[in-house]
Amino acid sequence: MFRMHGYAGASLALLAISTLPAADAKPIAFAAGTTVMGEYGAGTMNEAQVFYAPRYFFSVGAGHLSLQSDIDDRTRDITYARLNYLVKRWNLEAAQGNVFAWGGAGRGHVGDTGANVLTGNAGAQVDYETRWVYASLKADYFDSSAFSHRIDTLQVGLAPYAHEYDTLATWFVVQGRQYTGDIYDGVEWALLLRLFKGGKWVEAGATADGKLQAMFMVNF
Amino acid sequence: MRRAIFLLMASWLLGTAATAGTIEMKVNGLVCGFCAQGIEKTLRKYPATDGVIVSLENRLVAIATKDGQDISDAELTKALTDAGYTVKAIERTDRSLAAIRESLQKK
Repeated sequence: MFRMHGYAGASLALLAISTLPAADAKPIAFAAGTTVMGEYGAGTMNEAQVFYAPRYFFSVGAGHLSLQSDIDDRTRDITYARLNYLVKRWNLEAAQGNVFAWGGAGRGHVGDTGANVLTGNAGAQVDYETRWVYASLKADYFDSSAFSHRIDTLQVGLAPYAHEYDTLATWFVVQGRQYTGDIYDGVEWALLLRLFKGGKWVEAGATADGKLQAMFMVNF
Repeated sequence: MRRAIFLLMASWLLGTAATAGTIEMKVNGLVCGFCAQGIEKTLRKYPATDGVIVSLENRLVAIATKDGQDISDAELTKALTDAGYTVKAIERTDRSLAAIRESLQKK
């Protein structure tokens, strides 16, 4: 019902991020911190990641991404090692903005042919957040001799109250996601409820197709 | 003899009272629990740290130091900069962490 074709969705995403303050799950939480993330993406993508940040501006780790096409029976399973880098941070009085970039490589398994191919990964994320509002735009690109996919994700969140460190944070989040390479046709929209406290974060909701979208993150 | 012991104890008490204290910092970029978690983790590594409070609302990071111990402004600035945040001001106060916590709850 909410599907948009072509790059109209991406244009909408760029428009939205240019007009709203923004952030989301960051690939680097804090110096000497370990981040474990897992996402169930409406049956279209599943991803698990573990990163360790020796310094606040970079982290290293590994992940596994599974893509299941909503259009045909193609599947991709990509296991990768990755370096995340904080390109720029703006620390404002009551806000923070970040630009992250990352790159890595790994093995991609092509489900429909059974082939295993060397796969490169590159991506970037721009985010901005206050204690009331946040938005982020992320592009994650996987390329090999057998496939090429980019996953663009826009998130815009609103908090009904400003949280403190020791209180539960609640966010209502609208997510728009677009895949290239015939994984999904149009933009996959989702409404999510995000809760976090201390170093633990969970979010869950549903896509416009009524499928579960969920994620967790733990920092320690 | 009693007087000497009294004077010795008094000077010891006054000495520790003068060196134990609280350091309050105004910090930019504090917007989420992960920020606070990272800062707390960083500051608790110092042997001189007795306790830490982070208030997102007030952009405040407060550290209580152990009796007779201190952390220099330069060390604190470097620690928070290396943690990814911007220190705007550092002030040494007589307020205890309990008093700070109480004043934050009243706001």
